[in-house]
Amino acid sequence: MEQNLQYFLIPFLSWEMMVLIWVGVFAGIWVGAIPGLSVTMAASLLISFTFSWDLNSALALICGVFVGGVYGGSITAILLNIPGAPAAIATGIEGYPLAQRGEAGKAIGLCTTVSVFASFVGIIVLSVAAPVIANFSLKFSPRDFFLLAVMGILLIGSIGGGDPIKGITAGAVGVLLSMVGMDPSTGELRYTFGNIYLMAGISFVTAMIGLFGVSEALTQFRNAGKKSPKQNLDRIIPSWATFLKYLPLSIRSSLLGVFIGALPGTGGDVAALLAYDQAKRTVRHPSRPFGTGAYEGIVAPETANKGAIGGAFIPMLTLGIPGDAVTAIIIGALYIHGLKPGPMLMIETPHLFWMIVSCLSIASVALMVLGLVSVKPFAKIIEIPKEIIMPVVIILSVIGTYAIQNSVVDIFYMIGFGIIGYFMRLYGYATGPMVLGLILGPMLDANYRRAMQGAENQLLPFLEGFVTNPISLFLTLAIVFLLVSQTSFYRRWRGLE
Amino acid sequence: MEESREFLAEGAAGTVKDLSKYVPEARRKPGELGMAVLMFLLGALGYYFALDMTSGEYSSPSVFPKLASTVIMACSAVNFFKAVRREKPEAAATLKGYLLPMDVVVVVVLLVAYCVALPRLHFVASSYAFMVIGMVYLQRGKNIVRALLISAVSLAVLVAVFRYLFLVILP
Repeated sequence: MEQNLQYFLIPFLSWEMMVLIWVGVFAGIWVGAIPGLSVTMAASLLISFTFSWDLNSALALICGVFVGGVYGGSITAILLNIPGAPAAIATGIEGYPLAQRGEAGKAIGLCTTVSVFASFVGIIVLSVAAPVIANFSLKFSPRDFFLLAVMGILLIGSIGGGDPIKGITAGAVGVLLSMVGMDPSTGELRYTFGNIYLMAGISFVTAMIGLFGVSEALTQFRNAGKKSPKQNLDRIIPSWATFLKYLPLSIRSSLLGVFIGALPGTGGDVAALLAYDQAKRTVRHPSRPFGTGAYEGIVAPETANKGAIGGAFIPMLTLGIPGDAVTAIIIGALYIHGLKPGPMLMIETPHLFWMIVSCLSIASVALMVLGLVSVKPFAKIIEIPKEIIMPVVIILSVIGTYAIQNSVVDIFYMIGFGIIGYFMRLYGYATGPMVLGLILGPMLDANYRRAMQGAENQLLPFLEGFVTNPISLFLTLAIVFLLVSQTSFYRRWRGLE
Repeated sequence: MEESREFLAEGAAGTVKDLSKYVPEARRKPGELGMAVLMFLLGALGYYFALDMTSGEYSSPSVFPKLASTVIMACSAVNFFKAVRREKPEAAATLKGYLLPMDVVVVVVLLVAYCVALPRLHFVASSYAFMVIGMVYLQRGKNIVRALLISAVSLAVLVAVFRYLFLVILP
């Protein structure tokens, strides 16, 4: 115990690590705020130039960027309705209407505070329950991941806005587009039409930048000349009463985030959407109706995606299995520095575990300070006339798209998605479900087929698995609950209508 | 959703429409039927091309493409009939005026020109031209010097931050 405390204190006693964590958080906030420039990309760039560094310093910087980057994605979602990352899509649904009311400062302030709280929840769970959760997450079979993806798809009703049938249409278009490219399990080409660029599939980040970024810019140009709302920046930090009011929701959503983050292959994006949906179903008296700027709709996804940071480290540190793309890169960094991530990592190098816990804790404190200091300059962005800000947003979208795989073709795709998204918005087809379909399509397809192959392509054994396996049964019942909770009978019974 | 957000923007201090309950609009928009037909065609094409994929088993690669295409077709049919049942668009609302106001047309043309110019002129020159022309047009020819300056400064900051600080490769 005493030794663990010593390991935990290493970053606190090294000014170099301290500085690197703060620099990482600062850089992460700005990188994360740009659509397309992801935390994954920043972490992979850092690996290349921290190659010759001491491992502690490299980890300090990467942990800082990770925490800052996940937070940064939400800033542009709130201010411009352009999420910096898929994990911030749900935040934009409530955050943007708040910015339009002049409450961007208050929204970002609340987002910062609950984000820091959720980061600590994730870190605490990581430090006390990592091995238990990691072993549990390994029990998830392809059928369970398929059920998790089905749960995700059911969120279309929550993020679709307006007509649910149009939401389902957009979601199905997203799933269909996610099928483009080489089938990962058989190598068969689907919808590629002999085009070499289509073989790699359509990146959902490219689609997201187009569908949110460019289509938002085009929609804004329809209203050129309309003045941007003046932002009220008097009270940015939420009061204790406000914080306590959202505490139960914050705890629920953070824990959901930790758990989803700990599942290999799922991360903050799925966690944030599930938490938003869960809040929408369970909060009886939101600050405003959901969709019009409910603060609960910011608290839930933000706490979930920050909780997922600690969660993603759980399988990585205990089993050597990455919880998401960033932890996969950190595994790479550990290999570069001569360590062997796997079940023995915590036994052979316990200092590493406690140092990462410590780095994440310092990064969360840095996030609190840097996040709150940045609120005013960030909120001022929205007051810039859209005739000036939107061309800059388009250039940022181009930089972000190109950076994904250095391909000009991706920029064409992005612009194409932007124009499609613009038309979809005009006719009430929300773009969120389409991105959701693109994200979850491969997860649905791959896990359904794996599960079906596991049942030897027999329908009955496949269906039996849903009730005979405890995890599958729990998830199936959760899906049934999600469906039932959408009925007006249930909503009247719970007093939500 | 979008209309509602515009509504919020206009009525920041006023009453707020409850978006938690969906209330369909009385009139359909110009081109709404065409959009439903296009979506249906997308689903039909998706299904048609999925017929070429391996099928026959419950785990075949064609299962999800066919399923997604079928959902698109079914939902588009519902969207079409729901739109038909609503009142016709106002006589004054034209398809072109609704879909493509002049500002949107100009920006889309600029975007396509920018994409075409990118590989030839590279990032700095083409982005500068895009920003200046876009800003000058959207400000209706006013503040040309301001547009030139803002574009130059923004571009310099973007290049410095992304190219030199974050080591991102620019187009």
